[in-house]
Amino acid sequence: MYKSITSICFLFVFVGVTAQQSKDSIPKDSIVYKTNYGLRVGIDISKPIRAMLQDNYSGLELVGDYRISKNWYAAAEIGTEEFTTKEDFTNSTSKGNYIRLGLNYNSYKNWLDMNNEIIIGFRYGFATFEQTLNSYQINSGNIVFPSETITTPITEDGLTAHWSEIQIGYRAEVYDNLFITFTGSYKVMVSITDPANFKTHYAPGFNRVYASNTGFGFNYTISYLIPFRKK
Amino acid sequence: MKNYYFFLLLITLLVSSCEKDDFCIDPITPNMIIRFYDATNPLETKAVTDLSVNPEGLEDLYTSTSLDSILIPLDVTSNQIIYNFSTGTNIDILTINYEVEEVFVSRSCGFKAIFNNVTITSDTANDWILGFTTSLDNTITITTIENESAAHVQIYH
Repeated sequence: MYKSITSICFLFVFVGVTAQQSKDSIPKDSIVYKTNYGLRVGIDISKPIRAMLQDNYSGLELVGDYRISKNWYAAAEIGTEEFTTKEDFTNSTSKGNYIRLGLNYNSYKNWLDMNNEIIIGFRYGFATFEQTLNSYQINSGNIVFPSETITTPITEDGLTAHWSEIQIGYRAEVYDNLFITFTGSYKVMVSITDPANFKTHYAPGFNRVYASNTGFGFNYTISYLIPFRKK
Repeated sequence: MKNYYFFLLLITLLVSSCEKDDFCIDPITPNMIIRFYDATNPLETKAVTDLSVNPEGLEDLYTSTSLDSILIPLDVTSNQIIYNFSTGTNIDILTINYEVEEVFVSRSCGFKAIFNNVTITSDTANDWILGFTTSLDNTITITTIENESAAHVQIYH
């Protein structure tokens, strides 16, 4: 009995020693799960869906990112939008193009060779657009002399908007190199030009401009990764 | 604790999504404010007894009241409006000429009108309105009417 216990102890010591030796000679884990690095391109499918559901909206957005390190991606979105804002006393259409540039950080620790992401993204956004005041009515505030609706459109082009944006979202690899991404964003306007004696109600890529010059966004994209190398 | 943060975030989003530009709370097109003063004692206001006010061809805005100040709207679709001011059966006709300037207020309020170069003329026949100034002029020009913070016109009677 004593003998067997002692020998088990010796066995542990021996194994321990051999383990110690092997650590010096071989890397600690011989299997490294390599993941793809490359250019990922895609399209925001929420925008065509929204265009089908809302007759005052049309838009298209292409997205892309390039993996620069294990958790960091350079990302960009480029798109075009047209939206008609219907308010009680005004009806105006914004139409133009935009680009958003920035970085995505993946805060998700993947198992094995999985390629999912919890995205925290930062963007700089820039839009160039025109806004047309389609019709308006002076808010006369009395019923004795109701005002008339004026339907002569007034267009002002060359409007620009600059903003910063934070995005939070989730990305899942549904097939090999095919990804579905869902992100929400909060935007803060840095500078915006308003039409003379009017206000920009909607900026392409920014969505509705709230009174405090902030905005919210939403993306649902399908993208494909073109792998350049494994690392 | 985690739920608490989530709840806080949700509240923040709810508060920020219901912004002040959803409701029109800013001042819009101003009315003309008229105060009635005593012609014999020009520093004192004096109520008009049995006062009726109506825009020409339209219904009364004030009927047989006794007031020392009134509000009258101007027509933003026109450059002239004629008002009948009467005390009892004594009618005085006021012709108001003005220019309309459109000013954007906010998303929910839209545009308001402000009135420039407002000229008021009172007819001299059958007068109970003696004038618009302490020297009892029958016509007066106001540079602009852009808010309702003070009376725009003084009527001495």
